[in-house]
Amino acid sequence: MSRQRILVLVVLSLTLVLAAALFFFSGNGEAPEIEAGVPGPEETPLPPEETAMKRVILFFLSEADGLLHPEERSIVAGPSVEWEARRLVQELIKGSQAGLISPLPPESELRQVFITRDGTAVVDFSREFGDRHPSGSSAEMATVYCLVNSLTHNFKPIKKVFILVNGGERETLNGHISLTQPFLPLPSLIAE
Amino acid sequence: MSKPRPCLPAALSVALLLSAALAQQTVTVRVQVRDYADFTRLTLEASAKLETTLSRTGATLDIQVDSPASLRLQTAPVSSRLVRSINWGRRGGRAILTVELKSSTFTYNAFTAGQPFQLMLDFREGEEEAKPPAGEKVSAPPPIARASAPPASGVRTIVLDPGHGGIECGAKGKLGALEKDVTLAIGLKLKAIIERNLSFRVVMTRDKDTEVSLENRAALANNNDALLFISIHANGSYKKSSNGSETFFLSLNALDEEIRRLAYFENTQAELEDRIAAREEEQDVLRMILWDMAQAAHIRQSSRLAELIQAELNALLGTANRGIKQAPFKVLTEVACPAVLVEVAFLSNPDEERRLVSEGFQNNVAQAIYQGLVSYIRLYPPEGGR
Repeated sequence: MSRQRILVLVVLSLTLVLAAALFFFSGNGEAPEIEAGVPGPEETPLPPEETAMKRVILFFLSEADGLLHPEERSIVAGPSVEWEARRLVQELIKGSQAGLISPLPPESELRQVFITRDGTAVVDFSREFGDRHPSGSSAEMATVYCLVNSLTHNFKPIKKVFILVNGGERETLNGHISLTQPFLPLPSLIAE
Repeated sequence: MSKPRPCLPAALSVALLLSAALAQQTVTVRVQVRDYADFTRLTLEASAKLETTLSRTGATLDIQVDSPASLRLQTAPVSSRLVRSINWGRRGGRAILTVELKSSTFTYNAFTAGQPFQLMLDFREGEEEAKPPAGEKVSAPPPIARASAPPASGVRTIVLDPGHGGIECGAKGKLGALEKDVTLAIGLKLKAIIERNLSFRVVMTRDKDTEVSLENRAALANNNDALLFISIHANGSYKKSSNGSETFFLSLNALDEEIRRLAYFENTQAELEDRIAAREEEQDVLRMILWDMAQAAHIRQSSRLAELIQAELNALLGTANRGIKQAPFKVLTEVACPAVLVEVAFLSNPDEERRLVSEGFQNNVAQAIYQGLVSYIRLYPPEGGR
């Protein structure tokens, strides 16, 4: 009798352990895609050896209709969304290769991109981004949405963009458009 | 007279009730005349709405006043450049104010405003039709805002905000024009026109070339319980051919989804505040967010104001219609009243830069914004002010 009882106990506890294991493993399956981004010094790892490329679409301004037009570009595929987002912003600063207008001041340097848990890409530029900007409402809107639409279009995890200048919050880009709130993409500025 | 008896008491009581009601409804009508720099304003102010009819003969202008209520008529002694006398009289049971001018060559403009009812007549010397004088000197605007006592309890404030100033130049034109100078010139002209024609107080966020923070511009509107806030700018674009006028109101681009929904659809300030309060635990954070979002509760009226101003800009300037737009302008976010930002034309376009620095164009722009503002006030007459 007591043997039987022990057997029952063993079977029961095994079932429990199995059930628990199943529960935890299935739970682990949904790990968040985005790491809470605290930029570290090790943040610029070498690209993978085969240097896989990634096609991205950059948006630049058109003299013809004043809207944002797509321009395809290849960037080196990287280990994380942040890594690739940095490459993309650097390409935006370099400007259009197809004769479109580049609304990011060419003097500006990208300091950092990191992505928060809620999908906000925090993009930190050097002070030239604001100081060398020509000012004007339309010019500032073009700059902001060239950046915001390009980032959100290419990277699903990026839902909105918050712009920092020289590591801190700046009231406006250069006198008009507020930088104190994150920006959602504005598809209406993109040409059909 | 088949059944006079039952009727008489009823008729009597009705008459009594009516006269009692009318007696309660005595309307006080006050008239005063005041000289300003280039015109003389007669203000007829009443505690209830009146019907008025004007008729002119020679050097006199009769103002016939119709009202179901009995009127208590008051006048102040007149000492004016243009007006010799004002006298109340009665004709056919109607009250008539006879305004006698010193010369029979005069022009006048009439305006009314609600709550309390005001009829304003601006008299000018000369024969020509009243029109905005082109190329006028704006250095000495009429002293209405500085008048010792506000004319009435209900006078509301319109805040004009010439963009930029001081070391903050804003957009720059190829020929050297600076946004801060254009905006100030137009702002001062607009101030003069409003003061000449409407009984509003006009407060400028700056009336000279000085720096004013965006926060203080909004605060000035809020501290004066402003009726409207109009920010004046000149645009700059990377696109060289960009041209035309645009009127903006705030976009609540990246705000909390629910706040945006509330702002766009049915909402009141109170409802908005409740929802925000429910979401925020900490008091300081709450206050900051409310201040930050002040404009959210006025988005719909702001868009109406933008539409009406834009319509006038298109009609008057013949610049390309770029329509009304939304953008996250910092200066608008904290303004707690209907607020718009007018981008008059593009400094980055040399053709428009030339126009922007010309007095004539600046006058036209000021006139267009003024017309839009008048349409808005007709649509949303200010309630009894505080």
